Amino acid sequence: MYKRTLEWIDKRFPLTGFVKHSLVDYPTPRNLSYWWNFGSLAGIALVMQIITGIFLAMHYKADIGMAFDSIQHIMRDVNYGWLLRFIHSSGASAFFAVIYIHMARTLYYGSYRAPRELMWWTGQGLLLLLMATAFMGYLLPWGQMSYWGAAVITNLFRATPFIGDYVVIWLRGDFQVGDATLTRFYALHYLLPFIIVGAVMVHLVALHTVKSSNPSGINLADKDNIPFHPYFTIKDLYGLGVYLIVFSIFVFFLPDTLIESANNIPANPLQTPAHIVPEWYFLPFYAILRSVPDLAGGVVAMALSVLIFAAMPFLDRSKIPGGSRYRPAYRVMFYLFIVNIFVLGYVGAKPVTPGTALLGQFATIFYFSVFLLLPWVSKKEEKYLRDRGLPAEVEELIKDEEIKKTERRQKRERRHA
Amino acid sequence: MKKQIMLTLALLTLSFSAYASNAEVKLDHEKIPTDSASILRGAELVVDTCRGCHGLKYIKYTDMLELGVDPKTVDEWRKDKPVNARITTNMTPEAATAAYGVVPPDLSLMTSARDGGVHYMYSYLMGYTANSKGETDNKYYPGTRMPDMLGSAAATHPKQRAEISTKAKEITAFLNWAADPHAEDRKQLGKYVIAYLLLLTVLLYFWKVQIWSKLK
Repeated sequence: MYKRTLEWIDKRFPLTGFVKHSLVDYPTPRNLSYWWNFGSLAGIALVMQIITGIFLAMHYKADIGMAFDSIQHIMRDVNYGWLLRFIHSSGASAFFAVIYIHMARTLYYGSYRAPRELMWWTGQGLLLLLMATAFMGYLLPWGQMSYWGAAVITNLFRATPFIGDYVVIWLRGDFQVGDATLTRFYALHYLLPFIIVGAVMVHLVALHTVKSSNPSGINLADKDNIPFHPYFTIKDLYGLGVYLIVFSIFVFFLPDTLIESANNIPANPLQTPAHIVPEWYFLPFYAILRSVPDLAGGVVAMALSVLIFAAMPFLDRSKIPGGSRYRPAYRVMFYLFIVNIFVLGYVGAKPVTPGTALLGQFATIFYFSVFLLLPWVSKKEEKYLRDRGLPAEVEELIKDEEIKKTERRQKRERRHA
Repeated sequence: MKKQIMLTLALLTLSFSAYASNAEVKLDHEKIPTDSASILRGAELVVDTCRGCHGLKYIKYTDMLELGVDPKTVDEWRKDKPVNARITTNMTPEAATAAYGVVPPDLSLMTSARDGGVHYMYSYLMGYTANSKGETDNKYYPGTRMPDMLGSAAATHPKQRAEISTKAKEITAFLNWAADPHAEDRKQLGKYVIAYLLLLTVLLYFWKVQIWSKLK
C-alpha cells in the first residue's frame, strides 16, 4: 500500500527523487565542523518562532488600549501562555545569536567566496527581513521601550531627502506612533516570517547547487563527500539537542534577562524613558548610528554597516582559497572585527557620555576600515604568503584556477573572433 | 600582531572599568525570601498597607485564594466585589492627584518594571531618610511622592529596623510573585525539560559517534 501510494505520487510529483537527491544522498563534505550546524539551527529557530507566534496571535490584541493587557492575559490566564510568550521572546534573541554565529562562520572560513556569492546575498536579504520582523515584533507588547524604540527608529526616515516628513507619517500611519502603527506592525510581523520562509527556500536551492563549503576552503574531491543522511541528520540532531538545552535555560530560568524592565511599563507617549536602548542584537548598529553627529549621516552609516557585508565577495581579492585557514592576516582582521563588534555593542548599550561617544566613533571607523582595507590587505597577504611558499596543494589549486580562467578567456575570445 | 591585540584588549578593559564606576546609588542586595509563608504575609501587608493607594489590576481575588490566602480573609478584602474581580484601589485617580500630585502606579508588575527588580523594590522601601524638619525623601528615588509607609526613616533602633526590613522583604516577595505568578511552575517544569534534553542529547551524541564510526 505504502509503496503503491508512493509510486502513484512519484508519477505525478518527484517526491522520492527530491527526498533522495536533497536530503538523503545530498553530498556533504565530511570535514564540516560543528560551526556548520548553525544553518539548520536557524531554520529550526524560524519554525519555532512561527509556531509560537501563531498561538500567541490567538490571544494577542493589536490595539493600543488592549495590547499591554493582552500580554499579561497570555502570561497569567492562558494555559502555558507564559511558555509560549517566553519561547517567542527568548526565541528572537536565540534566532539572532544563531544567525550571527552562522555569519561569523561564513566570514571566518570565507564561505561567501565564489561560487557561493548568491548564498551570501540571499543570506544578507534574510538578515534584513529578520531585522525588520524583529523590530516590528518588538512594538507589539506596547511597553515603554516598544513605543520609544519604534518612535526613534521610524523617526530616522526623516533623513530621506525632500520627502522625509511624509515618509515618517506614511510608515507610522499617523503623526505619532499610535494605534495605526501598532496594527500595521502586527500585520507585517505576521506576514514577513512567511516571506522569510520563501527566502530560505531560495537560500537552500542555492546551497544545493553549490553545496556546502568546508573548513579547508577547498572544494573537496568526490571521495571526501559523504551522504547527508545519516551522517548529518544525526549530527544536526545532536547539535539541536545542545542548542535546546541552552535555549531552555533562558526560557525557564532567565526569561527576563532579555526583556528591558522599562518594557513592563505600558507605553506612555508623554514620558520619555531616561535612556532608550534597542534589543541587544541591534546594539552595534545603534552605536554606529549614534556615532555620526549628523542624522542623515548616521542613518547612512547604519544602513551601510549592515549592507556592506554584501560587498565581501568583491572586497576579498585574495586568490588563496578559503578564509582564515591559510591566511593569518585575514584571521587577525576577523578576530579584531569580532572584538570591535562587542565594543560597539557596549557603546550602544550605554548612555552617551564624551567617553562612550569617542569610543563609539573610534569603533565605527575601525568597523568600516576593516572592510575598506580588505582588498589591499588580501592582495598584500597573498603576495607575501606566496613569496614565502604556500603548501604545495594550495599552490596547485591556485594555478588550476588560473589555468581554468585563461582557458575560459581564450574560449570567449575564439567565439568572438 | 599578538602584542597589538593584547594592547587593544588592555585599552578596552580600562575603558570598561572607567565607565562602569559612575553608577547611581548602590542597591541593597539583601536576599528576598521565596517561601510561601513570607509571600502570604507580604500579601496581607500589601493589601492592608499599599492597596489604599495602589492597585494590583492583574491579580484577581481568586489568584489570592490559589496562592493560599485564607478564604475568610479574601472575603474581607473583596467585600461586595465578585471573587473573580481584579484587585483595585478604592482611591480615585482624581483624589490621588489631589493628595500626591500623581496617580500611584499599579503594583502588579512593579518588581519587573524597575531596573534591579526585587533589589530595587526592597532598597526603595528601606531607603527613606528624614531631614531635620522631619520631611522624608528616598535615597533611591529622590523626590518620591510616596510617604514612608513602613517608617524606615524614623527607625533607628536595630530591632525596629530589623522588623521593618522583614516587612519590606515580605512585601517584595509578594510583589515578586505578583509580577510573574507562574515563575515557580516555570522553574519546576524547566528542571524536567532540561533533564530530559540532557538525557536525549547524550543519547544522540552516542548515536552520532556510532554512525560516524562506520566512516573510514
